[in-house]
Amino acid sequence: MSQEYREPVPSFAFPRQTLVSLLVFAVVWETLSHLSPYLGIPPFAIPSLVTIAKSIATITPIDVAVTLARVIGALAASFVLGVSLAMAMYRSEAFDQYLHPMIRILMAVPVVSWILFAVLWFPGVEFRIGFVLVVVCGPVFLVDSLDAMRGVPRELRHMMQSFRPTTLQYFLKLILPAIVPSIFTSWKVNISLAIRVVTIAELVGAVTGIGHQLSVAQELFSVADVFAWTVVLVALLFLLEALVARVEARLLRWRT
Amino acid sequence: MNAKSGPPPIEVRGLRKVFRQATTGQSVVAIDRLDLTIAPREVVAIVGQTGCGKSTFFDLMIGLEAPSEGTLRIGDKSPHADFDFFRGRIATVFQQDRLLPWRSALDNAKLPLELIGLPEEEQRQRALTWLTKLGLANFINAYPHELSGGMRQRVAIARAFAVQPDIMLADEAFGHLDEVTAAELRDTFLKLARESGSTAILITHQLEEAIAVGDRIVVFGKSAKLLADIHVAQWPKERYGVLREAIQATLQGNAPDPRLG
Repeated sequence: MSQEYREPVPSFAFPRQTLVSLLVFAVVWETLSHLSPYLGIPPFAIPSLVTIAKSIATITPIDVAVTLARVIGALAASFVLGVSLAMAMYRSEAFDQYLHPMIRILMAVPVVSWILFAVLWFPGVEFRIGFVLVVVCGPVFLVDSLDAMRGVPRELRHMMQSFRPTTLQYFLKLILPAIVPSIFTSWKVNISLAIRVVTIAELVGAVTGIGHQLSVAQELFSVADVFAWTVVLVALLFLLEALVARVEARLLRWRT
Repeated sequence: MNAKSGPPPIEVRGLRKVFRQATTGQSVVAIDRLDLTIAPREVVAIVGQTGCGKSTFFDLMIGLEAPSEGTLRIGDKSPHADFDFFRGRIATVFQQDRLLPWRSALDNAKLPLELIGLPEEEQRQRALTWLTKLGLANFINAYPHELSGGMRQRVAIARAFAVQPDIMLADEAFGHLDEVTAAELRDTFLKLARESGSTAILITHQLEEAIAVGDRIVVFGKSAKLLADIHVAQWPKERYGVLREAIQATLQGNAPDPRLG
């Protein structure tokens, strides 16, 4: 009896444990929603799942698209800036010594402070949001890339130098491909960071985007809307992470 | 100056290399006034004990280090001062294969050809030719982690020969392989070096390997002091055992053994 060979099909199904835990959460939430009047909790604080579902149905795609565009644009700018500066710091010890303390300071400043600085310094809302995202995510790309560049094995660097590459060839053929795994890790970290930061940045002055809609929901005391927009944010995060994971699997297939 | 017109001679005169230790600040003399001439197309094996300056000499040959004093010239040029001139003219095989893990065997073999700017099709053809010569025609798309140690070293040898260098350097290139694979690869390496007309310099700590491969065996003592310069052809094969013992005694005593003349 011959067995037909089948290519393994990637599974996108939730694991059983995840489904169970989500179900338990939903049951507890719904129960609390019904019991809230007896527990002295205002009814709007824990809306029923049906109310939340109705709020999700009213989500405006334009706000999701605007937030997504801000995140992707800022991450792209942070990536180019971070990796370029990392390359310059890798090449020049003096540049590294001058810039490194500044990077450490930038990374220690709380996001809220950056938002306040941005509001005080820049009149344009889009620039404010972009500035905050780049100043928070850029250093992560920079530090991770620089560490990865310095972590390229000495044996490989020595081999490459023995073939006498130009500086550009050295970066393009050795350093950049060698740091690709680290770059993907940075992207995953920064996507999560950017999604959280963009929401806070949009709370201040923006008239579009998920953060703005969250602010409106808070003013209307609509927990259902807050819940709905939060679900969208989490879904957005998972979607972007899945996208990066897919590109990573394709580009790093040499590791499998 | 290429393999077709013939490689240039290598002239080493009063070569000295001193390193300053970062921790103690003390100076360490790695190579102390070495004089050596290597004729075009010679295959020279350099033997010496660990820490005798072989690897420093190797780095000076590659051009990654500058001499502290004296000269090392290939033809009328210095591999350090005229670094770019030797792109594609000096190639190296290291102790470990040092393949780039994200590149297939073919792309690894193409690497130095990309650096010298050959057209894409020529890169592919040349890399393919050398991989085929090394018995890897069926593995050109394999990544390094999919190959055995011996196969990876074959790719490294193909990568080095693909540029058709004037000077081929090998640093303990077969030392980490099992005896059978090492002997097989050593023979292949020697055959290819002879065919391509390159001057080959092999650094090794294995005396059998040095005797089997070298036209000449250069014995380094401490600080690359030239203890012996042996022309292997002058030794009949039946006396290779004596030659081996004499080199061993030279290395142990850090002075030329009388049997080496």
